[in-house]
Amino acid sequence: MAGIEQSPGSSMHGVTGREQSFAFSVASPIVPTDTTAKFSLPVDSEHKAKVFKLFSFANPHMRTFHLSWISFFTCFVSTFAAAPLVPIIRDNLNLTKQDIGNAGVASVSGSIFSRLVMGAVCDLLGPRYGCVFLIMLTAPTVFCMSFVSNAGGYIAVRFMIGFSLATFVSCQYWMSTMFNSKIIGLVNGTAAGWGNMGGGATQLIMPLLYDVIRRTGSTPFTAWRIAFFIPGWLHVIMGILVLTLGQDLPDGNLSTLQKKGDVSKDKFSKVLWYAITNYRTWIFVLLYGYSMGVELSTDNVIAEYFYDRFDLKLHTAGIIAATFGMANLLARPFGGYASDFTARYFGMRGRLWTLWIFQTLGGVFCIWLGRANSLPVAILAMILFSVGAQAACGATFGIIPFISRRSLGIISGLTGAGGNFGSGLTQLVFFTSSTFSTAAGLSLMGVMIVCCTLPVTLVHFPQWGSMFVPPSKDMVKSTEEFYYASEWNEVEKQKGLHQPSLKFAENSRSERGKRIASAPTPSDSTPTHV
Amino acid sequence: MEPKRYGITILGSLLLFFCMAATCYGIVLFSSLSRTLEVTASFKQGQVLKAGVDKITVTWGLNQSLAAGTDSAYKTIKVKLCYSPVSQVDRAWRKTVDNLAKDKTCQFKIVSRPYDKWNQTFEWKVERDVPSGTYFIRAYAYNSDDIEVAYGQTTDAKKTTNLFDVQAITGRHASLDIASVCFSAFAVLSLLGFFIAEKRRAKLSEQK
Repeated sequence: MAGIEQSPGSSMHGVTGREQSFAFSVASPIVPTDTTAKFSLPVDSEHKAKVFKLFSFANPHMRTFHLSWISFFTCFVSTFAAAPLVPIIRDNLNLTKQDIGNAGVASVSGSIFSRLVMGAVCDLLGPRYGCVFLIMLTAPTVFCMSFVSNAGGYIAVRFMIGFSLATFVSCQYWMSTMFNSKIIGLVNGTAAGWGNMGGGATQLIMPLLYDVIRRTGSTPFTAWRIAFFIPGWLHVIMGILVLTLGQDLPDGNLSTLQKKGDVSKDKFSKVLWYAITNYRTWIFVLLYGYSMGVELSTDNVIAEYFYDRFDLKLHTAGIIAATFGMANLLARPFGGYASDFTARYFGMRGRLWTLWIFQTLGGVFCIWLGRANSLPVAILAMILFSVGAQAACGATFGIIPFISRRSLGIISGLTGAGGNFGSGLTQLVFFTSSTFSTAAGLSLMGVMIVCCTLPVTLVHFPQWGSMFVPPSKDMVKSTEEFYYASEWNEVEKQKGLHQPSLKFAENSRSERGKRIASAPTPSDSTPTHV
Repeated sequence: MEPKRYGITILGSLLLFFCMAATCYGIVLFSSLSRTLEVTASFKQGQVLKAGVDKITVTWGLNQSLAAGTDSAYKTIKVKLCYSPVSQVDRAWRKTVDNLAKDKTCQFKIVSRPYDKWNQTFEWKVERDVPSGTYFIRAYAYNSDDIEVAYGQTTDAKKTTNLFDVQAITGRHASLDIASVCFSAFAVLSLLGFFIAEKRRAKLSEQK
């Protein structure tokens, strides 16, 4: 992908969930097809697919998509595999509520660091090996559950399994080498959403496995340990499949990944600086902690909550808990789509409002969930909460690409890390101490979601405005070019390093919404909506 | 009747109605039960029993010093293993609640027998799914509608005396441990194997 080549660890290209408009394919005049290439799908000059054919397994593009999202899905399954079995594990290991809460925090904390490292690994080894190394090296940690005999061991193993969530980065990175940037938004959003579904699927799979193993005669305290072998085997199987069937690039050659047309090296320190000095970065880090973060926290506590509060059987609680995570199938892409849809009429202001509405509604339904006293009401509240939170995740990544062009990778990475951090924090505060019951914890988490979503009102783009403030009237500051070029200093501008940012600025004029007609548009610019 | 008295009468009858309705719907409060049964068991105070291995003998019967006819409604006796307060700390899923339908104190059934005037005994081997903790034993007497009407337990009202410990099985097995190590080794070795083989193949093709 032609663009700025950065020092290892800083690129993280493709980490963003959304880059351009939501489209299944890119038509020919906009991105010319390379007719000499012999692939099943039409490709561009870099041999990246221009079409996203969901039900195809054609090598290499669609095969990569499926290998990639299934690997990510597998890691979600193993990270949250303990959650629906907690009613059994807590008796076997004599856990207290603190131990259970701490283990939940540990399960999401590991990946804060591993996601940051994964970017560098993908730069050095390529996304295929990045994915395989992680998934194969975390397989032993999953098998380690059979050794666990006390709270400390349980927390340690869940922490180590949690590292595997960094497959998110390799998944997105790999997709960006295979799909054209005009459709990468949909591709990455779908892959992220379907991977997240693993957190729901595991609530269904693990109690089922546990039941089957018990029927063969195992005692409960052994059966759950045997059940953990299945996620472990999934890791190994996916690792082998990716190794044998996957390839880094459409043409199969890793070394060309590092050589690109006319590129310039960007300094990691500069990229980092512009990411952390942009206040919007931190607002979105906080916000994602209360959409993705609460989703992960809920994945960890919801099955046990339904089991205890409504006296359900383990597999019934698992089925209900599964619907929470499985809503990702449609809710997350829907959030991205809604963001794009409102952007068409109201531009960036529409995107911000969409995000605020979804996330706040999610918080309100979470409050309701904690207070629901009957099972049907609780299930309804939970489903509405899941749609709100997951759509908010999708909508977040509808905005992230516009915060910065130069530091996009790092901002996406920081936002992702913020999600995990938010999850750890909410579990620590609301679900670890015995001060409040899980029901009260859920309601309070809902209140915190509503409060922590308010900062989105402060996100202001001079060229597009914010939720309550219209765009700046200043002639200079109200252009997209000014905003994106301000990330480069004069020396860099003289060298022409800021050209890709200017090009992006041109394309981002769509974020003015209906006012796009009034914006000065050069005649040779490419349209942004396909 | 004056409106105030009328209102109070209505309220009172409603309250009575709901209490009775509650009983009809099986909402029995533990505090409403009388402790008429005598329950003893063969463990010593503070003894540690191994799950799946050790046995205890439980004896239960009506307290002989009570008036005749106290037990007229008793049809069945269910003897249960119950958590002592020390095992309930920080574990809300074992909480003691007055409403017996929601009470989680006694989660393991030892035995269920039809009621008999004379003392009955049962030898119970501690099941392998009993978690580690401190316990006592309680027996509930049920009437013909299967509703609790009386109880007896091996400990005092505060549940602090005459308790015993259970040491649970670990659930671990040597075979599981070995399988786990084998699969882990397979994962790591196959990864390294593939990686080295591919690097070697790339070097060879570069040399050619």
